[in-house]
Amino acid sequence: MQWVVATAAFLASAVEFVESFTIVLVVGVTVNWRSALLGALAAAATLALLVATLGTALVQWVPLDVLRTVIGTLLLLFGLKWLKNAIMRYAGLKARHDEQAIYEETRAELRARGEVEASSSRFDLFGFLLSYKSVLLEGLEVAFIVITFGLSAASSTVSRSSGITSAALGAVAAGLLVILAGALVRVPLANVPENTLKFVVGIMLTTFGTFWLGEGFGVEWPLSDAFLLILIAIYLGASFLLTVWLKQAKKQQRAQSIENQAVPATEYSKEVPQ
Amino acid sequence: MKVIKAIYNFIVGDMVILIGVILAVSILALINNVGALAPLKGFSGPFLIIAVLASLVATLGREAFSSQH
Repeated sequence: MQWVVATAAFLASAVEFVESFTIVLVVGVTVNWRSALLGALAAAATLALLVATLGTALVQWVPLDVLRTVIGTLLLLFGLKWLKNAIMRYAGLKARHDEQAIYEETRAELRARGEVEASSSRFDLFGFLLSYKSVLLEGLEVAFIVITFGLSAASSTVSRSSGITSAALGAVAAGLLVILAGALVRVPLANVPENTLKFVVGIMLTTFGTFWLGEGFGVEWPLSDAFLLILIAIYLGASFLLTVWLKQAKKQQRAQSIENQAVPATEYSKEVPQ
Repeated sequence: MKVIKAIYNFIVGDMVILIGVILAVSILALINNVGALAPLKGFSGPFLIIAVLASLVATLGREAFSSQH
């Protein structure tokens, strides 16, 4: 079991599962649970098939160095996207993900479509597709992380399979945890610190992406694998500084807009005869 | 075209990050494969880290700048 891989997959999956759980919950409450759960299960099966086929194909046919370069690049792109969004949310430049708002919005949309609180267990195609689409779209990111992370963490064909297995186990554990928590409370999981999780995953993906991409190009990192901790420290420090910088930029922007509003008003009051 | 856009949005969705990473990878490939640039191989690691940080600063700076306007 590769714990770093499993942890990264667990955290990333937890965020995505919370997001898709909200939609499944709305469909379950507003349409019916049968359609919601069938949609979610069908999407989970599609994702499992994707990981199994794509993962196996990559394990068998692609040389490790090529894999590290390509997957390091992809992880870097993916990680920087997550990190950028998390920093923007911390700095207040982007709205935080609000599960309660998404829940209410989707519920209102379903109601407007003419759906009512369902007591019947009749299969509803729209509810099924909505649930399927939401789990599949959010889960694709998880599948991507499971495959790339699982493959890159390993150094031989045998441990490549174990890397994918570790990542998949992390994702499954996150899924079970979210489903269990959701089944217990039966409300959108609004209290999960999604942005913090996304930030942590962004740091991890960027760190491992940098490390593996470097190795793909023959970089010999000082201290070997322990250099990962230094990379984490560098990216954490940089993220902290960037958040502070963006917060200050936002403050200046506010002060400037208040000033701009105040100046014409003062000029106008001077022109008006008393 | 729609498929390419969907893949782009799924993987990165940000042109500054994409260009930054592609540039970094291209320069690393050059350093690794061109004989005349071989003495620079020792700087590949620090260069990669700086390129990643520069991409992050550039994309966040652009977001902050565009929101100011």
